[in-house]
Formats: sequence, structure tokens, C-alpha cells
Amino acid sequence: MTQATNGTPMIRLEKVSKTFYRDKEALEVLKSIDLEIQEGAYEALMGPSGSGKSTLLNLIAGLDRPTSGKLTVAGADIGAMAEDQRARFRAANIGFVFQTYNLMPVLTARENVELPLLLAKLPADERRKRAEIALKVVGLEHRMDHLPRQLSGGQEQRVAIARAIVTDPKIIVADEPTGDLDRESANEILNLLERLNREFKKTIVMVTHDPAAAERAGTVRRLDKGNLV
Amino acid sequence: MNLASIAVRNVGRNRVRALLTVLGVAIAIVAFVLLRTVVWSWTVAIEQSASDRIGIRHKVTMIMPLPLRYAEEIRQIPGMTAVAYANWFGAKDPRDENDFFATMAVEPDDILAVYDEVQVPPEQVEAWKQNRRGALVGDVLAKKKGWKVGDKVRLRGTIYPGDWEFEISGIYTASRATVDRSGFWFHWKYLNEALPPRQRDQIGWIVARVADPSRSAQLCRTIDEKFAERDIQTLSMSERALQASFMGMFSAVLDAIDLVSIVILAIMGLILGNTIAMGVRERTHEYGVLRAIGFMPKHILLSVLGEATAVGVVGGVLGLLLSYPLVERGLGRFLEENMGGMFPYFRIQPAVAGAALALTVLLALGAAAIPAYRAAKLNVVDSLRRVG
Repeated sequence: MTQATNGTPMIRLEKVSKTFYRDKEALEVLKSIDLEIQEGAYEALMGPSGSGKSTLLNLIAGLDRPTSGKLTVAGADIGAMAEDQRARFRAANIGFVFQTYNLMPVLTARENVELPLLLAKLPADERRKRAEIALKVVGLEHRMDHLPRQLSGGQEQRVAIARAIVTDPKIIVADEPTGDLDRESANEILNLLERLNREFKKTIVMVTHDPAAAERAGTVRRLDKGNLV
Repeated sequence: MNLASIAVRNVGRNRVRALLTVLGVAIAIVAFVLLRTVVWSWTVAIEQSASDRIGIRHKVTMIMPLPLRYAEEIRQIPGMTAVAYANWFGAKDPRDENDFFATMAVEPDDILAVYDEVQVPPEQVEAWKQNRRGALVGDVLAKKKGWKVGDKVRLRGTIYPGDWEFEISGIYTASRATVDRSGFWFHWKYLNEALPPRQRDQIGWIVARVADPSRSAQLCRTIDEKFAERDIQTLSMSERALQASFMGMFSAVLDAIDLVSIVILAIMGLILGNTIAMGVRERTHEYGVLRAIGFMPKHILLSVLGEATAVGVVGGVLGLLLSYPLVERGLGRFLEENMGGMFPYFRIQPAVAGAALALTVLLALGAAAIPAYRAAKLNVVDSLRRVG
């Protein structure tokens, strides 16, 4: 597919490594990764289990910090940020789409989408309006007052995408977004992600095992044993 | 929508657990309020005792009698406005010997001047004074027994054996809530005349009213000094001190009730803490999601504490709503009617209700503190890996 890149790097990793410690044993999950993802890119990360793709996604999303190397996202050195700074960075710049949707079961679709806006200190009317717009973008304006349990898997994932875009983040990170969906629902989600990249110029980084999903991305990168191959 | 409203909604996620926890808190609050009301009701007589009333008893113990002449001698001491005396009679209604009510032989001329909160219509007072077998009974006791003025009543003596005939001359009420309205007062002379000569002219205790309450302590000293060289010495004290010395006999029981009420709250705290901890454990993944999308540890902390507060408040309010009818209409009424001597006024005090609610919230916050702290400190990536 055609990506909406403009040649400016949105994500840059320079010699980034990540080591986990289990008891006294060190496990180097990412090994000196160099990577640059352009603004407006739609990239898929593939690789076998344990290859480090989810760890890489977590670093890019600011959920974790590299053990060494420099990590710059949206112009910020997030590898050097403290936890609270990274939380604020995530709220402003990153939209998350998870494999299992992760909606709050006690909140309606609209309220779930509104959730990240609670951090923006917007008036309630404004929050509501923005959540409704986001739900319209994903085609769920008729299901706004439904609870997650009243929605299908595909619809839940669309609500999750609406939640990811409601703050208008620069980057969307998606961890196996179609992993729990049937083919038809998966295609709807992939179409939606494609549209967000093309129309709304969102930079998307997606981890997937699904070759059909990866095909939709402009670039597919593969990891194996902590190395980009 | 805000974090507080989400916390409240989270309470209802597991309805059975939430219901059981709320009921547990409510029952604990009912038990706490009940026990605190027992303590309050038992000791309120001390707090509300009259400052211008003194009591005189045998120096050794309250159950040893004083000579009758002491009352006359005390009456002569300047500063006394009224002096009366009484004996504990301890009779029972032969129709229901398990039914306890206070029966006392009292000196009729001054007793209503000393206890001016006891209210009796003047014509009934006059009739009582004229009738050696006349009795004044509290309105609560009269209602319970179905007694009316003019009724003949027979009581069975325990300390003074035999059947004793009385006629109800008057029914008293009270201008103060803490007066026992289940009492039975009759002429001291009726008792005295029926006793064998060697037991006559002995009185249980003396009560007196003083003109100047600020001189009560001095008058007590004067009385005790007056009888210091006699065979039988006195111990005089203010009504408050007298009540306190009486209650001192039950201090261990009151301390135990105090302790049990605290233990009940502690158990309630543990129940709440367990519920909150279970909820936090089950929602670890959700907290990870919230943290991922930008919420700070403090938001998670407040959310968990808010949830605990919601459970505490709902349980506390429900507990109070259950306490009022149970304590005031059920048990309270029963105690006032059947154990009016010990619990003349058994009502929930606003301070007790307020303390129960405040302690519930504080305990809820305390119980949730550790789970809330742990939830706030969760590693985001680890939380997201955990499922359910």
C-alpha cells in the first residue's frame, strides 16, 4: 500500500538494547537495534514468539525504557524520561490498540472512548463531543451507549481504535490488533487502520503474526532473536 | 464521568461479592452502634446527674445500711434544701417473676423535691402521701403491666420475703430522658413497720439537695466529719461521683464492650481490605491499560481508594439505616421497658452514628491503602501481560 510518509523521522532507535533480568539471569531481548520510522509510515513488525517485537513496540510506545541506546519518538528522548514524564508523553502522543481490546466493562462505548480525555482537563461537553466524533470515524455512532459485553469482538476493537485516536495522537501502536478476530472483522480493522494512516496521517506501528495483516502495512520488518533481519 | 464515578461503578462489577461485603460492613456497623449505645446508655446517668444533689451511704459498702436518725441529723445541716432516703426492696411481680423492675421504699415527703425531674400530678402526690400502702410507678412500667391509678397490686418480696399489697396512687413521668420510668416507689414506713424490731429504722442510702452546688464538696466533707467518730461512718459524694462509683462495679464489663466494638470494626476493615485486594488483583490488566494510555500512579491510587470509600459509605449508611429501627424501636424499647434501671434511655446518639460512619470511611481507606499502593506501583508492561 501507499504510506503517508513525508520523510521526517517520527521514531528513531540508535543502538537500542533491552535486557531483562529473571532472578540473576540476564536475557538480552533486543540487541543494539538501529531503526528509523518516518512520520506517516505504516509499519508491521513480525517475527516468531520471543523475537522481541512486543518489547520493541513497548519501547516505542514509551511503556518501557531501553537498557542502553537512544530512543527518540516524536522529537522527544523518551528513553531518558522519568515514569511520570513518559505517562504524559503517552497521553499526548501515543494511541494504543491491544489484541484483547481492553475496554472497561463498566463503561459504555462512548465512555471508554472518552477515558483518555479525562487527562486533558476538557469540559464534559467537549469530551463527549470528541468521543462521539471518534466513534463516527470508526462507524459505531449507533452503538455509543452499549457496554462492551453488548458488542461483537470486531466492534469492541473499533471502540478501542476510537479510544486510541480520540486524543489525536501522532502515533498508533497496535499489538496484534486482529489476533482475536475472525477474518471478516480483521479486514474491517485493517481497513480502518489503513484509513487512519492514509486520511488522518497517523504513524502506525503494528505487531502481528498474521501475514495478511502485515501485507496491509507499507513496510514489514522482521525480528529474530532480538535483531532486525 | 470522572475517576470517582468509575470507581463507584467498579464496586458493582462482582455483584455478589459487593453485596456480601456491603452487608458485612452494615452488620459490623449495627453491632458497633449497638455496643456503643449500650455503653452510652449505661453511663449517661453519670453525665446527666444533677450538680446540686448528693448521696450518702455507708462508708464500707452500699449494701450496708445507715441508721434512720442520720437522715434527720443531715437535714439539720445548713445548706440542705431537701433530704430523703430509700431502701432497695427488690420485689417481683408474682405473675412474672422473671420481669425485673426497680422497687424502692422511699421517704415520701422530700423524695420528689430531691428528684424534681420526676413528674407526678399534684393530686396523685397528695393521695400517695396519704396512703401508707400507696405506690408511685413509672408510666413505662404502668403501661407494660396495665396498671392504673387505684389498682391493687401484689408483689412478692425477695430481700423482704412475703407477699406485699400496694395500691397504685400515682403514675410518674419524667422531664429528663435518663430517668428510669419503670420504677416502683412506695412508703418507707410501710416497709419499716412490717420488719422485725431489730431490722427497723435502717435505711439504704440518703439523697439530699443542696442550695449551692458549688458547696457540694464542702457539705459532703461536713457530713462525713460529723459521723466520723460514730460506729457507722458515712461516705458522701456528689450524685455524679455516686453514679460513677456504682458504675465502677461494671467497669470491666464496659471495657470489654468497648474492646469488642473496636474488634468488630477491625474485622470489618479486614473484610473490606480482602474485597479490595481481590478486586485489584482481578483488574491488574485494566490498571495496566489505564497506565498505558497515560494515567498516573496517583490516578490508580485514588481510583482504588475511591472504590473502597464507596463500599464503606454504602455499607455504613445501610448499617445506620438498619441500626435505627433495630436499636431504637426493637431492642431499645425492650430494654427501656424491661431493664429501665440500667438502660433508662436507650437511643442512638448522633455522635455515635457520626463516629460509626467516619470510622467506616477511615477503615475503608486504611484497608485499601496497601492494595491501592500496590496497584499504583504496578509495572505497566507486567500488568498488560497479566490476564484477568
